Amino acid sequence: MTRKKTLGGRSFLDVPASAVLAWIMPGLGHLYLGHRVRGWIFLATITLTYWTGIAVGGVHGTIDPKEHPWWFVAQLCNGGHTSAAYLLRSTLEPAEFVTVTPAAHYGPRPVKPLVHYGHWLSIEIGTVYTAVAGLLNILVILDAIVRADAALRAAPRGVRAGAPWSPG
Amino acid sequence: MMLLAGLFTQAIPVSGAGRILLLLPLCLSIAIVYKAIRCPEPRQIPAAVLPLWITIVVAMYVIGALLWTVFNLLS
Repeated sequence: MTRKKTLGGRSFLDVPASAVLAWIMPGLGHLYLGHRVRGWIFLATITLTYWTGIAVGGVHGTIDPKEHPWWFVAQLCNGGHTSAAYLLRSTLEPAEFVTVTPAAHYGPRPVKPLVHYGHWLSIEIGTVYTAVAGLLNILVILDAIVRADAALRAAPRGVRAGAPWSPG
Repeated sequence: MMLLAGLFTQAIPVSGAGRILLLLPLCLSIAIVYKAIRCPEPRQIPAAVLPLWITIVVAMYVIGALLWTVFNLLS
């Protein structure tokens, strides 16, 4: 079942709406446009990649705008996920966060209560995972914009304001 | 809920082999997203993903091996 049948027609708002929805949650823009299979593929793939990165690196080391701001910009391309991760990081703020450096990784290290330890290698891998998920979402946002625009151009004149339209 | 949050709070220690194996799912997600955009029909996606995934993985390992060799020769 296509969106034309369920919602009636296309409007100029489809283009920005699909882009914003795709930024909030990967694949949501495609689901809004009626591309269900693609939408679910994007949603599952990018969400899984993003949260795998968070699980590997830990939210305190992976989402760190002060320590690595440019990676955080790439992570922000996944608006909803990064907001949720940042909220989780703020909510579960540890008393102290210590990054285990390469030198300390192989040596003995003191284990203190209320301290979150992040392994440098895990943090790097987690950061790359989340940033790549964000960059992939740029492609998904652009694809949603192109598909919304193509659908708008394909619609006959007179129905673009959102009036019900059927292919006839 | 707190159990789920705990899953994402503590970092997982990654070993030497683990960092190489963690390239596989990352490349797979890149291949899936790229082919989901490019394929005209969704049913073509699985068949198109596999060759791209293998290509990316092999290319990344070859580049990594070359850089590792150069690094060891220069050090």
